[in-house]
Amino acid sequence: MSTLEFLLHGFSVAFQWYNLLFAFFGVLIGTAVGVLPGIGPMNGVALLLPITASITGTLSPEQAAASGIILLAGIYYGAMYGGSTTSILLNTPGESSSVMTVIDGHQMAKQGRAGAALGISAIGSFVAGIISLLGLILLAKPLSAIAINFGPAEYFSLMILGLLAVSGLVGKSMTKALIMLVMGLLLGTIGIDAVSGAARFTYNIPILYSGISFLTIAVGLFAVGEVFKSILERDSNSGALAKIDKPYPTKQDLKDSALPITRSSFLGFLIGILPGAGATIASAFSYVMEKKLSKNPEKFGKGAIEGVAAPETANNAAAGGAMIPLLTLGIPGSGTTAILMGAFIMYNIQPGPLLFENHPSVVWGLIASMFVGNLMLLILNLPLVKIFAKMISTPVKYLLPLIIAFSIFGVYAVQVNSFDLLLLILCGLFGYFLSKNDFPLPPLVLALVLGPMLENNMMRALTLSNGNYAIFIQKPISAIFLLISVLWLVVPFLLKRRKNKGKNTSVEIGN
Amino acid sequence: MKKWRFLLVMFTVLLLLGACGSNASTGNNAGSGDKNYPSQPLTVVVPNSAGGGNDTAARMMSKLLNDLKLVEQPFTIQNKPGGGQAVGMAEFVTKYKDDYGLYLGSPPTIINYLRKEGNSPYGHNDVTPLGLLYSDIAILAVKADSKYKDLASFVADLKANPEGVSIVGGSGPGSQDHLVVMLLADKLGIDPNKVKYVGYDGSSDALTSILGDNGDALATDLSGISEFVKSGDVRILAVASPERLGGELADIPTYQEQGVDLVYYNWRGVFGPKNMSENAIAFWDEKLKELTETEEFQAELAASGFKPGYMNKEDFTQYLKEQEDMFTDILKKLNMLK
Repeated sequence: MSTLEFLLHGFSVAFQWYNLLFAFFGVLIGTAVGVLPGIGPMNGVALLLPITASITGTLSPEQAAASGIILLAGIYYGAMYGGSTTSILLNTPGESSSVMTVIDGHQMAKQGRAGAALGISAIGSFVAGIISLLGLILLAKPLSAIAINFGPAEYFSLMILGLLAVSGLVGKSMTKALIMLVMGLLLGTIGIDAVSGAARFTYNIPILYSGISFLTIAVGLFAVGEVFKSILERDSNSGALAKIDKPYPTKQDLKDSALPITRSSFLGFLIGILPGAGATIASAFSYVMEKKLSKNPEKFGKGAIEGVAAPETANNAAAGGAMIPLLTLGIPGSGTTAILMGAFIMYNIQPGPLLFENHPSVVWGLIASMFVGNLMLLILNLPLVKIFAKMISTPVKYLLPLIIAFSIFGVYAVQVNSFDLLLLILCGLFGYFLSKNDFPLPPLVLALVLGPMLENNMMRALTLSNGNYAIFIQKPISAIFLLISVLWLVVPFLLKRRKNKGKNTSVEIGN
Repeated sequence: MKKWRFLLVMFTVLLLLGACGSNASTGNNAGSGDKNYPSQPLTVVVPNSAGGGNDTAARMMSKLLNDLKLVEQPFTIQNKPGGGQAVGMAEFVTKYKDDYGLYLGSPPTIINYLRKEGNSPYGHNDVTPLGLLYSDIAILAVKADSKYKDLASFVADLKANPEGVSIVGGSGPGSQDHLVVMLLADKLGIDPNKVKYVGYDGSSDALTSILGDNGDALATDLSGISEFVKSGDVRILAVASPERLGGELADIPTYQEQGVDLVYYNWRGVFGPKNMSENAIAFWDEKLKELTETEEFQAELAASGFKPGYMNKEDFTQYLKEQEDMFTDILKKLNMLK
């Protein structure tokens, strides 16, 4: 059978009435899960995994597997849609992949353009979903072959580039951004080292052994920090929230976002294929790329719609890309796909090189249902945008307690201990202090997430090379990443110096 | 104002939804010593990434327990990889204190506690052994198009230039896959410290690296690899069992056949929290025995090439003591003891 025939067969599976229902409930639950900070896609899928098994119990094994996995995958990409909501409205990134969305998304909300921001995320997510699905159908095998060639050295350099790129482009001062980056890396070393198993900076305090949670830090710095800011600086910005003009993106918004959405779809998809890199790096890279390509880079950070469209598109495209190593190799590239893989195994289906041959109706049913599910999400999300967008006009006296409740709930639901709640409040104070002094928060949060992976891959690369650091330059792909990283740091510095020099000379001539 | 109320209601619903869900992953103290145990969903902590040996064991166990109606409550599998199982162990010991958390561990549960570098603060004395499910067999594999067609050619290269050959494994340095490599080197008369071992968080990650030519050979367990052997992507050079495996894997030679006296099993054991109630301990002791005696369980073992060898709570506890002595000896010999 050709690919097209397989796909048509897949649609016949996806259009079974109960599979349509499963897909719908999947994306509905996914949206709810994505909106809640804390309960990210990973927890959402993990929590519903056991329930799925009992719902699908009456179907034949192959059908049950298709339906169950359609439901769980729906939660996965549904949650990726919903992830932008709290970032935009409440300045709270619920997942590491929506950290970049906060920067411009919340600014837009403050300007009364929350609807436009939410709308463009939904549209971008939809486009990304469709493009990555097409990529999955057409290029799954060749791309997975390329992706596995990414070794430890390449991952290390890619992450270095990602971190430096973000640090170079957010906030006003690169020095401050780099300070935050290093701070994030340092926080990431707390806990049991993933390479050697050594306990670091734990001081025999058991709670520290599993490390500092990304969620607590991100919610604390961004959301609680924002609350402190609103309280402490109440007089300066009372009534600063603009009225909502239109609940949806304008024609101009769509025009501005068209190219960023297209570019980010491809970029996100390609990065998503790399096991381990995933949505976080994809969203960071796409934001950076759009800021670089933009004619008005100064708009970024002040509510540029491209700054929302790009990362939200990229993280969805990456979610689609991450399905490739899972389906073709049985290698989960992210925490969520790892749980999806668990779901396959639960239904006695071994994801791996033989999956497409042994279980075509499950795989193609899943792929077809993702088309259907993405369409459902778009239809589901656009009316929700209107409702959510109104939330931003909630009076501050109601909104602030709501954010606090939300943050505490989100963190406690995942961590279930009071230590993280104290840490949350502390991070809130710290976040207020940092943003008041123009220290950008995204580099810290991203470094905290990527730091352990960075270190892991560095150790592996050095083991392979017998401790020779040249391995990072000898591997061509890695060398290119590092070269760009160096240029990223050095070029703006040189340009600035030259500019200053130019000024000095002109002054001299003037004299 | 009406809309505001609507929003509030909606969010409350969402919050409740989340709250209901989150109970499943954590549980609380309700039900300890309860006659209706287990009355809540259960969590199994797996200290490796999905797709590896312990993960397979945890998923197979929980699926069969549910399918065969031995346990009615659903299971959630929590993968906590890193540190050669030290991260997952610490997570389990510090965060799961009631009767609703289980831990699926293998030899690193003991090894991490004993080894010199990066030793875990927690070991098998910080958990309650409930039963040993089965044992997995250590293997050495290469990519299908590798120049190593048999163990002899690999060993020849390793002897000639240990620093030019990299062996990847599905667990961190100092844990099981690493120890097998060290044992192999020791038996071959190669200085174990010269062998290049690259540890990953699970055998699926390690497998990726040999498929992508980022490692020369893979030392790990049979589980998770057999699918790739059948698809023709991976070739197993040797299995560390005393006799050949059955079924489709019957033509793979053992280490012993090829002149290397290496036999190594990785047991998969189920543990509960240290302060698990007597009631819950008795429950699992009985259910795990029942599970391992079912035809379905035995069929799974046969299909995957695992070695049966159920041990009840008492035998397993005793076995762990013997294992501790054995690993102490091995680590001492390799100069890796704490």
